[in-house]
Amino acid sequence: MTEVSSVIAFAQAVLLLACAPLVTGVIRKMKAMMQHRVGPGVLQPYRDLAKLFRKGEVVSDSSSWLFRFIPYACASAMILLAFMIPSVYAEVFAPYGDLIALVYIFTLYRFAMVLGGLEGGSAFGGMGSSREMMMSVLIEPSLLLSIMAVAALTGGGTDISGIPALLCAMGLSALGPTLILAAASFMITLVAENGRVPFDNPSTHLELTMVHEAMHLEYSGRGLALMEYASMLRLTLFMSMIGTLFFPWGIALTASPADLLGGLAAIAAKMLALAFVIALLESVKSKMRLFRIPNLLTVSFVLSLLAMISLYIL
Amino acid sequence: MIPLPELMIGASAVTAAVCALAPRERTISPASIAGSAVVLAAALAMAVAVGTDGPIRYGPWYIDGLSTLFSVTIAAVSLAVSMYSRGYLGFERREGILTTRGERYYYAAVHSFAAVMLLTCTVSSLGMMWIMIEATTLISAFLVGYYRNEQATEAAWKYIMICSVGITLALMGLMLVYASASGVLGSESGALDWPVLMAAASMLDPELMKVAMVFAVIGFGTKMGLAPMHTWLPDAHSQAPTPVSAMLSAALLNCALYAILRFMAVSDASVPGFSGGLLMMFGFASLAAAAAFIIITRDIKRMLAYSSVEHMGIMAIGFGMGTPESVFGALFLVVAHSATKALLFFSAGNAIQAFGTRDMDCIRGMGKRMPFTSSMMASGTLAIVGMPPFSVFVGEAVVLYAAVSAGLYLQAALLAVLVLTVFAGFVMHVFPMISGEPEKEVREPGGMARAAPMVMLLGVSLFLGLFMPDQMRDWLESAATAVLGGV
Amino acid sequence: METELALNLVDTFAVGMLLLSMLSMATSRMGQLIRYFSLQSLLLAAMAAVSAQATGNTHIYILAAVTLAIKVVIIPRFLRYTMAKINVEREVDTLVGIPGSLLLSAALIMAAYFVTEPLMGSFETLTRNCLALSLSVVFVGLLMMCTRRKAVTEAVGLLMMENGLFLGVMSVSYGMPLLVELGIFLDVLMAVVIIGIFAYRINRTFNSVDTGFLRRLKE
Repeated sequence: MTEVSSVIAFAQAVLLLACAPLVTGVIRKMKAMMQHRVGPGVLQPYRDLAKLFRKGEVVSDSSSWLFRFIPYACASAMILLAFMIPSVYAEVFAPYGDLIALVYIFTLYRFAMVLGGLEGGSAFGGMGSSREMMMSVLIEPSLLLSIMAVAALTGGGTDISGIPALLCAMGLSALGPTLILAAASFMITLVAENGRVPFDNPSTHLELTMVHEAMHLEYSGRGLALMEYASMLRLTLFMSMIGTLFFPWGIALTASPADLLGGLAAIAAKMLALAFVIALLESVKSKMRLFRIPNLLTVSFVLSLLAMISLYIL
Repeated sequence: MIPLPELMIGASAVTAAVCALAPRERTISPASIAGSAVVLAAALAMAVAVGTDGPIRYGPWYIDGLSTLFSVTIAAVSLAVSMYSRGYLGFERREGILTTRGERYYYAAVHSFAAVMLLTCTVSSLGMMWIMIEATTLISAFLVGYYRNEQATEAAWKYIMICSVGITLALMGLMLVYASASGVLGSESGALDWPVLMAAASMLDPELMKVAMVFAVIGFGTKMGLAPMHTWLPDAHSQAPTPVSAMLSAALLNCALYAILRFMAVSDASVPGFSGGLLMMFGFASLAAAAAFIIITRDIKRMLAYSSVEHMGIMAIGFGMGTPESVFGALFLVVAHSATKALLFFSAGNAIQAFGTRDMDCIRGMGKRMPFTSSMMASGTLAIVGMPPFSVFVGEAVVLYAAVSAGLYLQAALLAVLVLTVFAGFVMHVFPMISGEPEKEVREPGGMARAAPMVMLLGVSLFLGLFMPDQMRDWLESAATAVLGGV
Repeated sequence: METELALNLVDTFAVGMLLLSMLSMATSRMGQLIRYFSLQSLLLAAMAAVSAQATGNTHIYILAAVTLAIKVVIIPRFLRYTMAKINVEREVDTLVGIPGSLLLSAALIMAAYFVTEPLMGSFETLTRNCLALSLSVVFVGLLMMCTRRKAVTEAVGLLMMENGLFLGVMSVSYGMPLLVELGIFLDVLMAVVIIGIFAYRINRTFNSVDTGFLRRLKE
C-alpha cells in the first residue's frame, strides 16, 4: 500500500470518527421532521457529548475496576473498527484484520457492554444484559453468514478491503439474489444490533422497553460520553458497511482527487438514504414485544442462510 | 360412424342437467337410470369397437383396451348406483332427511361426477387427465359433505385438503415428465399425449423420470388410497351417502389407478422396474395398514373403506410386479373389486337404513329379519375376502401365482398372510351381524330398485369367477399390453 | 431484453417468491398472510412476463395475465371475503411456533436443493436455476398446511404450493400446452371457491375454523 493511500485511508477513518455523532443527529432530525416536530439540531449530539465530557462521574459502590474500564474498552473497539472499514476509499488503514475479526470485534464490544451493564449492580443493568445476550444469540450467526455470503460471492476471501473492488468489477451481474438476500439480512441485523425500533427504542428509559439503554443506565460523565459515542460510531460503521461491502458502486478505487470526491459524494448519499430508511422505520413501526423478537431475528438468519445457499445453487 | 366417446360423455352430462332441471320430481330418478343405461351402452359399444378395430384416436381422445376396461367398469357402477339411489333416496325422503332440491342436487352431482371420471379414462393428453382428476375431487367433495353434519364436514374437509395436496404433487411429476419430453420432442403440444410419449419414452432422461415417478406415485397414490396417504379414505367413504361411497370406492379409486398406470407405462420404457418397485412398496404398506384397521374398526362403512385400501394395495402389488400374468390378474381384480365392493356397500346401506346405525356391534339378527340383504352381504363378504367361486379369488390367485412364478416368494407369503388377516377381520365383524337376535323391529327396505342392482352385481361377480369368456380374456390382455408398454 | 439481465431478473423474482414464503411462515397475522400470497403471485406473473419477453413465446404472456387476474386479484379478494363472512380471529394459530417453523422450512429448502441438484443440468430454459426454488416453495407450502390450524391458512398453504408448482413449470419448460395451463388455473380457482364454502360450513357447524376440532373421525 503506498503512502498516499495510507494517508487517505487514515483521513477517511478520522472523517468517520468525526462524523459519527452527525449521523445520529441527522437520523433524529429526519425522525422529527417525519413526526411533524422541529426536533433537535443536527449538531446536538456533539453538544451533548461535550457536556458529558465536562461532567464528573458517579460510580456505584458495588462496582469494580471493570466499571471504569468498560467505556474505554467499548470506545477503543469501535475506534479500531473505524480504521478497518472503508467508507470513501477502498483501502483501509488497518488491513490486518479481516471479516471474521470484524465480527468478533463487534462481539467484543457487545461483551464489554454486557459486562458493564452487570457491573452497575442495579436490576435494570442485569435485565438489559440478559436481553442483549438473547438477541445476540440470533444476531451473530446471521451477521456472520451474510458477510460470508458476500465474501463468497466475490471469491476474494475475507479481506475487507478487497471486497468493494471485486464487487464493482463484477458489475451489475453481482446484483443477484445472493447479494439482495444478504443485504436484507444485514439490514435486519443493523436495526437489531443498534437498538433501533422495532427491536428496541433508543429514546426510552422505561423498564419494559429498554435493552441497550439499560446497559448504559449506570454510567455518567465521561464514561457515559464514551459509551454514547461508541454506540453512535457503531451505527455509523454498520451503515458504512452496507454502503461499501454490499452496494459499493461509487466508492473511490484509486487515489485520484476526482475519484475521491466521487467516493465522498457516494458514501454521503448512501448514508443519507440509510438514515432516511432508519428514521422511516422508527416512525412507522412500533416496537415489537420482547418474545416476538426471536421471530424476526430467525427470519434474518434464514435469509442469510438462503443467501449462502443460493450462491451455490444459482 | 357414431362418435362414441362424445356420446358417452355427453349422455352423462345431459343426464346431470336433466336431473337438475327436470320439471316433475317423479321423473328425476327414472331419467337418471335411463341416462346411466345409455352411458353404459355407449361404453360397451366403444369397448367392442376398440376390440375389433384397435384404439380410437381422434381429437382429444385416445381409447385403447385399458381405457375401455376402466370406462365400462365406471359406467356399470354408475348405472348400479343410479338404480340403488332410487330406493335409498326414497327412504330418506320418507324419513324427512332429504328434500326434492337435495335430490336434484344429488343426482346432478353424481352424474357430473361420472362424466368427469369417464373423461379421465378417455382423453389422450396426460395434462387433461390431471385436470379431470382434480375436477373429480372438487365435485365429489360436495357429495362427501352431503349431510352437512359435523362428521361429514370434517370428512369433506380432510378429503379436499389431502387430495389437493396429492394432486399438486402429481402435477409436479407431470411437469417433470413434460419437461423431459419436450426437451426430446420439441415443445409442441404433442408432448403430453400418451401415445406420443410412449413412442419417445426410451429417449427420456432416466434420472428425471425417477423423480417424476416418485411424485406421480405419491400424488396419484393419495387419490388412489395407498398407505400412508390413505387417511382421508375411511372418513370420506363412510360419511358420504351410501351410493356415493360405492361410487367412490368402486370407480374413483380406479381413475387414480388409471393415471398411475399411464405414467408407469411411460416410465418403464425409460427406467424399467423403478416405478414397479415403488408401487409394490406402497402396495404392501396399504395391505398392512388395511389389515390392521379392519380388525379394530367398528363402523361398517369404514371397514369397507379399509377393504378398498386393501384391494388397491393388492392391485398395486400386482401392477408393481410387472409380469404379464400379474398385470392380467391385477386388471381382473379391478373389475372384480368394483363389482363386489359396490354390492357390499349397497347391502351395508340397506342395513344402515334399517337399523339406523353404522356401528357393527349394534347390528344383530339381520338373518332373521332381512333375509335378502343378509344373503347379499354374506356372499359379498365371502367374495371380497377372496373365497372361490367368486371373481376376487381368481384375481388374487393369479397375482399370487405370478409372484411365486417370478420367484418373489417372500412377497407372495406376505400377501397371503395379510389377505388371510383381512379375511379373519371381515368374518369376525360381518357374521355376528347376520346371526343372533335383532334388538328392535327392523324390516327389509324393499323395492326392486334396490334389489336389482345388487343381484346384477352378485351375478357379475359369480360369472367372472366361474367363466372366462374369450372376449373377456382378449380384452384383459389388450389392456395388459397397454400397461406393459405396447401402444 | 438481453439474456443476462433477464436471467438475473428471473432468478431474483424466484428468490423473492421463496422469501415471501418464508415471511408467510413468520407472520402471525392472517391479513398479512393473504397479502404475502398475492405479492408472491405478482412476482410469479412478473417472472412469466420477463420470460415471455426474453424468449418471444407469446403464450406465456397469456399465462402471466391469467396469473395476475386470478391469483393476485380474485383469489385474495375471495379469501378476504370468506374471512369476513366467517368473522374469524386475525391470529394465525401455529402448531410449532414461528422460529421452529422457520428453521424447519430452512431444512426443507435444503432438502429441496438436494433433490433437484442432479436434475438442473438437463434443461435448457432461461430459468433452469429456479427448479430448486420451486420445489422449496412447494415444500414450504406443504409445511404451512401441516402446521397451521385455521382453515383459511391451510388454503393459503395449498395456494402457495400451486404457486411453487407454476414456478417449476416455468422453470423447466416455458409452460405446458396452453389449454392444460388454463385448465389448471380453472381448477385452482374452483378449489379455492370450494375451500371457502367448506370453511364457511366448518365455521357454521363447529363455530370456529380451528381445524383442531376436526378430530371426531378416528379408527
